[in-house]
Amino acid sequence: MDLTGLFSKRCVLVTGKGGVGRSTVTAALALAAARRGRRVLVSEVGDEGQGHSPLARHFGRERLPEVRPAPLAPGVEAVELLARVGQELFLATVLHAATLAHAAMSSEALRRMVNAGPSFREMGVYFQLLTLLRARRPEGDPLHELILVDMPATGHTLSLTGLPELLLRLVPRGPIAEALREGQGYMNDPAQAAAWTVTLPETLPVSECLELLDGLRRTAMPAGGVFVNRIPRDPFTAAEREGLAALIARHRLLGAEGFHRLEGCACELRRLQAGTALPVIGLPELEGGPSLATDLSLALEGADPVEELLAVPRPARGAAPAAGSLLA
Amino acid sequence: MTSNAAHGPIAEILKNQRIVVCCGAGGVGKTTTSAALALAASRAGRRVLVLTIDPSRRLAETLGVSQNPPEPVAVSPERLAAAGIAPPGALDAWLLDAKLVADNAVRRLARGPEEAERFLSNRIYGQVSQMVAGMHEYTAMEALHRLLLEGRYDLVVLDTPPSRNALDFLEAPGRLSRLLDMKIFKAFLPKQGSLLTRAASALIHRVLASVFGGEFASEFVSFLASFAGLFTILNGDVASMRSFLSGSDAAFLLVCSPTPASLVEACFFQEKTRELSLPLRGFVLNRSRACVDGRLFPTEELLAQGAGPEARAGLAKLQQLATAELAAAERDRVLLADLRSRAGEGCFALAVPELPQGADDMRTLVAVADALLSGGVEKSP
Repeated sequence: MDLTGLFSKRCVLVTGKGGVGRSTVTAALALAAARRGRRVLVSEVGDEGQGHSPLARHFGRERLPEVRPAPLAPGVEAVELLARVGQELFLATVLHAATLAHAAMSSEALRRMVNAGPSFREMGVYFQLLTLLRARRPEGDPLHELILVDMPATGHTLSLTGLPELLLRLVPRGPIAEALREGQGYMNDPAQAAAWTVTLPETLPVSECLELLDGLRRTAMPAGGVFVNRIPRDPFTAAEREGLAALIARHRLLGAEGFHRLEGCACELRRLQAGTALPVIGLPELEGGPSLATDLSLALEGADPVEELLAVPRPARGAAPAAGSLLA
Repeated sequence: MTSNAAHGPIAEILKNQRIVVCCGAGGVGKTTTSAALALAASRAGRRVLVLTIDPSRRLAETLGVSQNPPEPVAVSPERLAAAGIAPPGALDAWLLDAKLVADNAVRRLARGPEEAERFLSNRIYGQVSQMVAGMHEYTAMEALHRLLLEGRYDLVVLDTPPSRNALDFLEAPGRLSRLLDMKIFKAFLPKQGSLLTRAASALIHRVLASVFGGEFASEFVSFLASFAGLFTILNGDVASMRSFLSGSDAAFLLVCSPTPASLVEACFFQEKTRELSLPLRGFVLNRSRACVDGRLFPTEELLAQGAGPEARAGLAKLQQLATAELAAAERDRVLLADLRSRAGEGCFALAVPELPQGADDMRTLVAVADALLSGGVEKSP
């Protein structure tokens, strides 16, 4: 896959339902971008009191650094996006004084309000992301050329991408409005930002992926494409498949589950493709382990659009087998 | 259902508990597990409700109930009969979205329909009622409390909203109820209280005015204050619900998927429930590939006489898949054993196999229910 377009963005949101490998894909993208010399920042929307971070675990840590970005791997920095941090940053900006912001945040009433008040948490996260996008080196170029965000579950993702429009209807003027418009300048510009959705070649994940793409469209978030993760390697030629059909129908066999899964997988990929005009990229199923993110980052470079996986014509009887493709 | 199954840990819970809370990360099959548990309990003769917030459309289709009704809906006996079962108990489902839950709470708590209408048409409420952090959880907790008090159900199965933190649904209402405390809101209202409160209030107003601009700040504050006045009534309910959830009538289950990360999650969940003194009763390892009983290894002998070269080449590859399935089975057996030793006394760990998704999802649900019931029962070797 040509990753140049994806890596030329300032901000890429990695979205998708739980359990599809979103954190792994985020980590793999970060490693691949860093290999090409991009200054990368990875982040995730964190939660106060969260015990563990699946993203951090790919880099051998329990948690991502908080408040300030810190190096995580060669060429990769990381920071947790925390509502509280963003809220404090925002207050310091509008009150023109960090001490006043600190005093405000230690007011019990205000703290309770920003913890539970409508949209306050999303606003905090949004503002911290904006601050990271703004950050520049002394020479003037961005401190982090590419910011990758491992996004939360679907509902929370759409609360975040839909935040500017929602709040601007309520508060069209003032510092919040200005910050949101500046954020929109980055996030709603397809040249600078994109959401990539991770899914699996299975029924429920594909349906939810299509729903999420709809949601992103409604919130004006540019969608870059879809990664279909964990596509199993299909070793069978059409003739072999046919030759096995009778055997599999006759006995309850070990291996039959995997055999049928391959068929279901191709069917779901076609459904996904029919449901979106965006690029759909297939990623292989890899052995889990400490090097999973690195292995996937290497696989990303050679990953193919799904149409190439599906369009491989099934070889006629007797022709050379096309085994080895992901889905023949 | 085997006679053994009726004595498994799940059967015990479904027979004795009044509330079962299913927790777990997104994508582990929590909603399906919850629905299957409710189904199993109704087959054991109990009157059951499964309550799920933000469900996929699919569950509504499977159960044949509408989404977002004002009250729970019964799953029709015809639909159950079509899947080959006739539970002696009753099975209701309530599939809600957050906005509706909040609107319902406003209608119930307001002093009369006029006040309710004033809230529901407030422009701030309209925009943000879905975004008030903890609103889903808070109102779901209230709905749950009411349903249990009414005594319409012997058992309520709660499918918790997806979240990275499995217990967020318990912590979010706390955050919200701390906000909806009128004592705190006095600080937002000008010219009230002691000198100290007035000083705090001045600071807050300065902050809000700088953030929102003066005009919107006062609109916002008066909205939040009246909203708080409305919802503060619920605080008592949330508190008694919390104590109910720590009692002997409740059982918490963690649903997880067969990945090594599940073990970490289980540890975390166990610590968290201990901290909050919640009765953790078990781990459900979903989509386990551990069971290979009754399946044959695809050997040469099984091939029909005169099978062609393609079938023979295919067989070698099928054998590789079979070997991989055996390895996965072994991994999942080890994972289950690890979960079991983590579970310790008074807590179980059981595995539910991945079931093929047929055209008839209700049958799948019945199969999941059976698997849950028999999952904790040790097979004689």
